[in-house]
Amino acid sequence: MQSGIAERLGEPAAHYMLEISLLQVNRKRRIVPHRPRRCLIDGLDVLKMENEPCWLWTRPIRKTEIVLSNYVLALLLAFVLLGCEQQQPPGAVPHLSVWAHAGQAAERKVLEKQVQRFNVQQDDLRLDLTFIPERTYNAQVQAAAIAGDLPDLLELDGPYIANYAWQGHLVTLDDLLSRAIRADLLPSIVAQGTYRDRLYGVGAFDSGLALYARRDVLDQAEIRIPQHPRGAWTRDEFDALLLSLRDSDEDGAVLDLKLNYPDEWFSYAFSPLIQSAGGDLVRRDDYQSAQGALNSRGAVLAMTALQGWMQQGLVDPNLDDAAFVSGRVALSWAGHWDYPRYKDALGDALALVPLPDFGKGTRTGQGSWVWSITRKCSDPEGAVRFVEFLLQPAEILAITETNGAVPATRSAIALSPAYREGGPLHLFVTQLAEGYAVPRPQTPAYPVISSAFRRAFADIRSGAPVRQVLDDAVVLIDQDIRDNQGYAPVEDP
Amino acid sequence: VTDSIQRRSGPLFAAPALLGLVVFVAVPFALAVVLAFTNLRLGSPLPTEFVGAEQFRRIFAEPAFVRALLNNTLFALVVVPLQTLLALALALLLHQRLKGRAFFRTLFFAPVVFPLSLVAVVWVLIYAPGPEGMMNGFLRAVTFGAWIPRDFLRDPVLALPAIMLTSIWQGAGFQMVILLAGLQGIPGELYEAAAMDGAGRWGQFQHVTLPQLRNTLSFTVLVTSILAFRLFDQVQIMTRGGPRNATTTVMFEAVQASFGRQQVAKGAAMTVVLFLVVLAITGVQRWVARQGREVG
Repeated sequence: MQSGIAERLGEPAAHYMLEISLLQVNRKRRIVPHRPRRCLIDGLDVLKMENEPCWLWTRPIRKTEIVLSNYVLALLLAFVLLGCEQQQPPGAVPHLSVWAHAGQAAERKVLEKQVQRFNVQQDDLRLDLTFIPERTYNAQVQAAAIAGDLPDLLELDGPYIANYAWQGHLVTLDDLLSRAIRADLLPSIVAQGTYRDRLYGVGAFDSGLALYARRDVLDQAEIRIPQHPRGAWTRDEFDALLLSLRDSDEDGAVLDLKLNYPDEWFSYAFSPLIQSAGGDLVRRDDYQSAQGALNSRGAVLAMTALQGWMQQGLVDPNLDDAAFVSGRVALSWAGHWDYPRYKDALGDALALVPLPDFGKGTRTGQGSWVWSITRKCSDPEGAVRFVEFLLQPAEILAITETNGAVPATRSAIALSPAYREGGPLHLFVTQLAEGYAVPRPQTPAYPVISSAFRRAFADIRSGAPVRQVLDDAVVLIDQDIRDNQGYAPVEDP
Repeated sequence: VTDSIQRRSGPLFAAPALLGLVVFVAVPFALAVVLAFTNLRLGSPLPTEFVGAEQFRRIFAEPAFVRALLNNTLFALVVVPLQTLLALALALLLHQRLKGRAFFRTLFFAPVVFPLSLVAVVWVLIYAPGPEGMMNGFLRAVTFGAWIPRDFLRDPVLALPAIMLTSIWQGAGFQMVILLAGLQGIPGELYEAAAMDGAGRWGQFQHVTLPQLRNTLSFTVLVTSILAFRLFDQVQIMTRGGPRNATTTVMFEAVQASFGRQQVAKGAAMTVVLFLVVLAITGVQRWVARQGREVG
């Protein structure tokens, strides 16, 4: 048997050798193969005469092509069979797939443990957790959505919820999430997760912005330190204090705007200043245009002020992300996540102050990672059990004590030493709970709006005329909204 | 029977490679061309429609894209000759019997081995604004303090040259290695004969080295031009196309449109334009090379 196979394998090779030697003979003596060959001439299958070199001007019969197509088919079949092998056997405990962003190592570990704890508690459900790198997270999830490969349960960056909901990938949580938990959530969590009056995602934590200040330097310059968002520095006050701080600063740069951060930071961190001045990224009444919002007087005012600070050299470029901790600047416009590092560096000299008030009251950014259930989820009730599990105070605290974020529910906040009333970070809770936080626009156009704003910010930073740059951004945004027919809701498939 | 086995074995052996070429090169490219004439948006539930040449009309009406084409052209015009000359000079130096030749070859080739993203991050630090930045400090030192510190990557005039310098530093080593291989392939007898005929070092270079290197040189020039039009990594990391589109490139615009704004059709139209430009350049260079051969 074995020798038979070897013989058959050896046959073509031997024939190949023979053919080469024949060809060599041909070249020397101009003798052609003596066997008659079947060739295809003008669609006719004819028998070649002897001594006629048919391989020079004809095409072999179609048999080769049939073999080729069989070969391709076999390959495809092999792929299909391999794919089938990975499917779970019937009758086992149902598995739900979960995708999450790969944050810091410690954060990942906590989530892994949470999934383990949940799996142990359940005997009729098992979760399979997959981490996806943070920087390309949205691109990968979007690609999976197009390919129809979304998991059952999905972590999403807050401002992208509207886009995924509009694309029809998410189920609403309105009828799934328990009322008690929903009532316990911070209003900002509900706001960011809502699209067209329906809740599509909830997070276990939220985020916030503030100015971190060096108390000793401010005291020396006799600058008052606001305690509550109500008492935020006004625009004139802020301009004046930047200049007075500069007088005693070595390099003249007194403010850190985290200009070293990438991409989304700019929309997140500086749209609140526009909103504080009465402008916005887009008109929120119907989300049909940015005209009169992104190029409004308020927006121009806010962006002109930012440009002014940067052009007067008041802002540290912060390439090393150490402008504040190394003492180069007295003020840092930053997120809640910088608190542990700043506290370590400054100790009691660290003060937390709301962002400046440009006329309509101080505003802060908000929104973070949220959990959503996809339309292809086979067991939405099971999936929401996991979301509710993550929203238990103990589980919220497990994750927020690792990533430093604001706990999502009031009961968890009450248990958090840092965020509860009187805690050093309570300002963030006040901002989120008392209406100082503005969700990034809950429209499917958000990726375009953010992209246009980022570009505008970069241009303004390099000295371009503010009004014109903002007008250009409005044109880009409005064209995209028109191209998508106003992002009107699409009929359910 | 053996006859038919023999005849089908050729296509069979070629099949895996051909399949790969079709699936990963031909089909995606054909798709890009088709998509460029639609209004496809990434993940949109709205139906995709054919919109004719609308995407092309739009990208050419977009100042950022026109600037990107100009930047790519300018980049190629500056970087290709400079980088080739530098690589040739390095190759000629390292072709001689120097002490520590292997060390220097490794040194000059090292930037090629580093990932481009790493190189870009390092150069961001080199170009740091303010007097503490390495480049600013260096220029201050060589001008005896006359240099006023600049923010290179945010300066509308200096940003593109800054990226050019990074690219030349990074890319010259690769060209150098190819040219070095070309130099080693030139038979020593030619130099001997030239020396017998009384040719000096310059004469040998002009009449032996350059003609013998012509194929190698035209290859490196072609590859560098194509890479110049595909410029992306440095821009993405160092400037994000700014300030005010001073460093934006066609690839950067295409990626921004497709993945930042989910406008895949627009991105496809940009890549089709890029393909045509590269095709034209390749054609022109082949034509020039052929002219040269006929004259020689």
